[in-house]
Amino acid sequence: MEKILEVQNLQTSFFTESGEVRAVDGISFDLYKGKTVGIVGESGCGKSVTSLSIMRLIPSPPGKIVGGKILYAGKNLLDLSIGQMRKIRGNEISMIFQEPMTSLNPVFTIGNQLMEAILLHQDLSKSGARDKAVEMLKLVGIPSPEKRIQDYPHQLSGGMRQRVMIAMALSCNPQILVADEPTTALDVTIQAQILELLRELQEKVGMAIMLITHDLGVVAETAHEVVVMYAGKVVERATAEEIFKNPKHPYTQGLLNSIPVLSKDPTGKIKKTRLEPIPGIVPNLFDLPKGCRFQERCKYVEDRCRGVEPELRELVPGHWVRCVKAEAGDSAMAVTVSRG
Amino acid sequence: MSTQNRLVKKLLKKPIALFCLVVLAAYVVVAGIVFFTGFGSEWANPLAAAHLPPTFGSGYRLWFGTDVMGRSILLKLVQGVYVSINVGFGTAILSAPIGIILGLLAGYFGGWLDEVISWLMTTLSSIPGILLLIAISYALGKGLFAVYVALTSTSWIGLARILRGEVLKHRRMEYLIAAEAIGASHSSRLFRHILPNVFHQVVLSLSFMVEMGIRSEVLLSYLGLGVQNLPSWGKMIDDAKGELHNGVWWQLTAATVAMFFLLVSLNVFGDYLRDALDPKARY
Amino acid sequence: MWTFLLKRILGSIPVVFGVAAIVFCLFNLVGGDPALLLVGKHATPERIASIRAELGLDQPLPKQFVQYLGQIVTFDFGRSYTTREDIRKKILDGLVPSISLTIPAFFLTTFFSLLIAMIVSFYRGRAIDRLSVAFFVFLMSMPGLAYILFGQYFLAARLGWAPISGYTAEWPDAIQYLKLPVLIYIFLNLGSDIRFYRNSLIEEVNQDYVRTARAKGTSEITIFLKHILKNAMIPVITYVVLEIPYLVLGSLLLESFFSIPGIGGMTVDAVANSDFPVLKAMTTVISLLYVFSTILMDVLYRIVDPRMSFK
Repeated sequence: MEKILEVQNLQTSFFTESGEVRAVDGISFDLYKGKTVGIVGESGCGKSVTSLSIMRLIPSPPGKIVGGKILYAGKNLLDLSIGQMRKIRGNEISMIFQEPMTSLNPVFTIGNQLMEAILLHQDLSKSGARDKAVEMLKLVGIPSPEKRIQDYPHQLSGGMRQRVMIAMALSCNPQILVADEPTTALDVTIQAQILELLRELQEKVGMAIMLITHDLGVVAETAHEVVVMYAGKVVERATAEEIFKNPKHPYTQGLLNSIPVLSKDPTGKIKKTRLEPIPGIVPNLFDLPKGCRFQERCKYVEDRCRGVEPELRELVPGHWVRCVKAEAGDSAMAVTVSRG
Repeated sequence: MSTQNRLVKKLLKKPIALFCLVVLAAYVVVAGIVFFTGFGSEWANPLAAAHLPPTFGSGYRLWFGTDVMGRSILLKLVQGVYVSINVGFGTAILSAPIGIILGLLAGYFGGWLDEVISWLMTTLSSIPGILLLIAISYALGKGLFAVYVALTSTSWIGLARILRGEVLKHRRMEYLIAAEAIGASHSSRLFRHILPNVFHQVVLSLSFMVEMGIRSEVLLSYLGLGVQNLPSWGKMIDDAKGELHNGVWWQLTAATVAMFFLLVSLNVFGDYLRDALDPKARY
Repeated sequence: MWTFLLKRILGSIPVVFGVAAIVFCLFNLVGGDPALLLVGKHATPERIASIRAELGLDQPLPKQFVQYLGQIVTFDFGRSYTTREDIRKKILDGLVPSISLTIPAFFLTTFFSLLIAMIVSFYRGRAIDRLSVAFFVFLMSMPGLAYILFGQYFLAARLGWAPISGYTAEWPDAIQYLKLPVLIYIFLNLGSDIRFYRNSLIEEVNQDYVRTARAKGTSEITIFLKHILKNAMIPVITYVVLEIPYLVLGSLLLESFFSIPGIGGMTVDAVANSDFPVLKAMTTVISLLYVFSTILMDVLYRIVDPRMSFK
């Protein structure tokens, strides 16, 4: 497996009137060619900020990347000038966003917007760019692309707009695609189509995908590796299989327990299991508790958790957890996940 | 409501906003003093020689000099403060409820009520402001009453339009449908759900209305309409018109400066207000 | 598009009617007897009666209204009471002087305000933005009259840069007479125009499509000049179109002070003289012009914004 991106101890803060908020506080993970990393967590855990940081799209002011490294192609992206970064954006590393409705410029045709990226990064003539744009639309499965290319965004449905976004992002054959909640704003059926499309394209093209989502179902479908974030920190990191079979962090377990599951018991009757939501809400980043950030919602919390913040440790090869109890191999924390 | 408390707190943190508020308060206090104690009611009496430049040491009344009839410009100015504050705030306070009620009604009930109110708004705003003011002053004569009618009859429109738009926007929103689902009644829906959301539009419009009121009043009294029995700043500027070429600058300057500080404070405060009310949490 | 236009014109008839009704009420109904206003209370009854007959005020009200509507349709508003000139002629004569002031002034103001607004919003939040916002707030807070009076005094009387007043229709001499009023016009309107344009531009700056453009590697300048500007133009165009009636009206104050024989000055004189027919005519004409420009604006808006269709 070829490593294509290495995020090392990334730290991003926002400097507000009420002080500095560290939205991303020391995140590390790697992306591999042809593989998908799913970054999961609740709203506000810092996953979007992470993706924007990689693209260096953090609005500044008030935001700023204050620490860490993002290694790509032998360089630290954070050391590049903005001009150099622009050459990479849309070209080697592309990004798609959550709201396809508003992410496209309403007063330009989709053809124009597709061609923009192509003309920016590739040495094609206008008509060559146009042909490539049509080709991309075909690639993402938009019917009659030669006609569609003159359409305006409002003439397309949500799912089609997101396909256009994907087409735009892939038009220059990027090595990495950063997808920030690409399906959250879409219907479930369209969601499945888009995820399928991403999977197909990944196989075809061999790009790495960084998929941000709060939806574990999406992660299960598409990710090879999963990074679970909470309050700006990584709390667990493992392959998708491991995460689902063997979640070690109480938060991850809680997330899995929150998913309603339909299953039948041995007699064939539908099992009615109680939904177990995680009590409480995410902590205020201005007012973090001392010690483990998850302590106020954790059902296994004890005094050890309130003192020093636990480290992220590799408990099993390839499986990292930030929890003292998990480390201790506490049997009380054996997986009580009701998976069908 | 906590929105108001939060708003006040946010504003109090900014020294510039605070300063403007103090300036505005000063004007209002002066207006109040004039109104309640009749301070400066002797403004019409000639005090000294005509066109006396600002003189210090002979009493405060001569600090800004005298006009063509030897009257104290300071006293005239203070009367002008009263007129401007009176008209500015008075018309805004009257217009606001009209705008709120008509805007909300039009947006909420739609149908023919909306048609009628919209027609009224379009028709009134088709007549350019200054011409309508002139027309109404023509019809109602000079004086404070005419000014009030003239200004109030048009300044409600902006707010009504905005609120109508807000209601139409909110009508479709989820939380109202949810409220309907739990059986909330017509009026409780309207007042409880929509009103807090439009609170900030009203506050913003108020500062704009006050400004428009002051400016229009000055223009009207300059043209010889509006308030004529009291020296308003517009009247002072009209009086001062011919003076400048003779090197007599103090009446014009006094009125200009007085208006300037009032409007700047109003404007700046209004801007801070807008920023403080912005629901998109800006850093 | 034409059906839309037709529908729109038809739809504005109630508004036109409403305007006529309001103007009529104010002038013929509510106000004191116009005849009295014109000649004063001490005139003889015969005088008053003859004026009333002349102005058509001796007719029953409904008939007066119909007469008025007729005046609108034929664009014949009778004669000015004070100068006895035919009002229609006066309006047409005054048109050229008025627009020779307002149109160049408007173009210059719009040009500079757009330019400044673009620069300022490109650097939003930075020192140049804040300073200029403050500066223009200051600029806007001075009463317009002060600009005119001080401008006339300093630039004309003292420095002799321009004549104090006057007008000629001859080019290029006209420039001498127009340059000061045009300059003052710019000062009067720069602040509020910049505020509006800046707000329109900044509205766009926070939009999601801007972020997408950035993610594609587009430069900030391209984002501003291509993506943002085109979106912001939509409200700007509507704003500009609605200025048209005011351009025709001319600047009341400027024409009055600089003795420019335009429509605005005519109106100011009419106010001073309580010239009933003229005031009524002016109000009517400019209001109708306004209704027309809202229709124009609606059409333009739909042409410019691809999201809007002609229903």
